[in-house]
Amino acid sequence: MSGCEGPQSVFRTGGSDAAQLEHLFLVMLAGAVVLWLGINGLFYYASRVSARPVSRARVEALILGGGVGLPVVVLTALLVYGLSIMPDQRAPGDGLRLRVTGEQFWWRVEYWPEGAEAPVVSANEVRLPVGRRTEIELAATDVIHSFWLPALGGKTDLIPGRVNRMSLEPTEVGTWRGQCAEFCGLSHALMAFQAITLEEAEFGAWLAREAQGLAPEARTAEGYAIFTAQGCGGCHALRGTEARGTVGPDLTHVGGRATLAAGILPMTADALTDWIRDPAAFKPGVEMPGYDHMDPDELATLALWLEGLR
Amino acid sequence: MTARRHSAGGEQEFAEERASLVRITFGPLIWAMHFLLSYAGAAVFCAKFPHASEHLDLLVWGIGLATLVALAGIAWQGQRSFHQWRKGNEDSLIEEDADGSSEDRHQFLGHAALLLAVISAVGVIYTALPAFLTATCR
Ligand code: HEC
Ligand SMILES: [Cu+2]
Repeated sequence: MSGCEGPQSVFRTGGSDAAQLEHLFLVMLAGAVVLWLGINGLFYYASRVSARPVSRARVEALILGGGVGLPVVVLTALLVYGLSIMPDQRAPGDGLRLRVTGEQFWWRVEYWPEGAEAPVVSANEVRLPVGRRTEIELAATDVIHSFWLPALGGKTDLIPGRVNRMSLEPTEVGTWRGQCAEFCGLSHALMAFQAITLEEAEFGAWLAREAQGLAPEARTAEGYAIFTAQGCGGCHALRGTEARGTVGPDLTHVGGRATLAAGILPMTADALTDWIRDPAAFKPGVEMPGYDHMDPDELATLALWLEGLR
Repeated sequence: MTARRHSAGGEQEFAEERASLVRITFGPLIWAMHFLLSYAGAAVFCAKFPHASEHLDLLVWGIGLATLVALAGIAWQGQRSFHQWRKGNEDSLIEEDADGSSEDRHQFLGHAALLLAVISAVGVIYTALPAFLTATCR
């Protein structure tokens, strides 16, 4: 059953919501198995074991009982059970709020701690404190996407023009994988993300770091000069600097993410180099231009500098 | 309308049959109205009071009341259909005679109306269940 393991499995849960859904699935599965056995057992009985005419009264009782009564009872029981877990799945968060916006083909992520007036902006990765219920607002600007993080909870669409809500309560520290689950264009299948669940204290420390702008020493480095000269800041933000673009992901702490380009490349200087040279080679239809005209040494310096932005 | 060929036939019988044809739509119609009322009611209510938990009882009991009224209507319709179907057809639980007489057609319409009433009642209950089991605007 190794196919059921891994960071993106509904059978390897790390949160209470996903555990509930797994339970729902198992109940449904058990019910389906019982029904299948019952119906095929009856078929077998009626055609092989006791194949003889039956009285009209019995036939009518069978049709009314098995064809009307039983389905109504079974479906009602399943509906009541299914509906009864909905309030849990929709429970409000207990403090931290995230806003995730789907973009072609990446995720804009904002952290709104309780009482915050401005968000901590990040991208392509979701970090959540264990033992807390975090509310997640889901929006989109271009087309419909879907936020699916099977290890932690159900699937919810991100729809332009409206805000959908879900909440997640991780119960286990770990690194999980999520995936856009609604076809959104050429690179839909390459629109993934990492979810990292942390102990509350650790999460707090990370969020405080993430909230800071670009480190002063990063600003004086050569990489920053290259970044500015190439005009990357027109699309990307480095908080606390002139780079304020919002077309692409916030790069202030890009090196601190576990993956590059929404879950498809490792966060290494080599991968960054390849990505910047030709993003479309990894993600067809991507909105970032390629920089294959750059001097290879400059490109390597830029990549190494980005990788160091933790 | 071949009904006229039969002895009892004529305009009056045709009118009666038309009435029972219309009547078979009552169950589903009540279901549709209840559905519309519940969903539109919940949508309007949640748009007006998105964070309401104190007013929510109002919505839930409103839907509950609409459900009772709808079920009563369907039950009334159902028992009328039951009699229409069973009159002169006491021997079978699930079939009417199939000689093609106008009496048989009359019974058939009663049978169809009864089955539609049953499915409508189930539909009404299923429509109302979320209001009681989830009871949230989220
Ligand atoms: C026209 C706007 C645009 C320009 C200019 C641009 N980018 Fe991007 N960049 C994007 C977009 C959009 C994405 C998201 C791509 C995706 O994953 O779908 C992106 C993604 C990235 C990522 C991955 C971010 C992550 O969270 O994994 C890096 C790193 C990056 N760009 C670096 C650069 C650098 C360095 C430059 C300048 C040499 C640059 N970009 C210029 C639009 C731009
Ligand atoms: Cu998408």
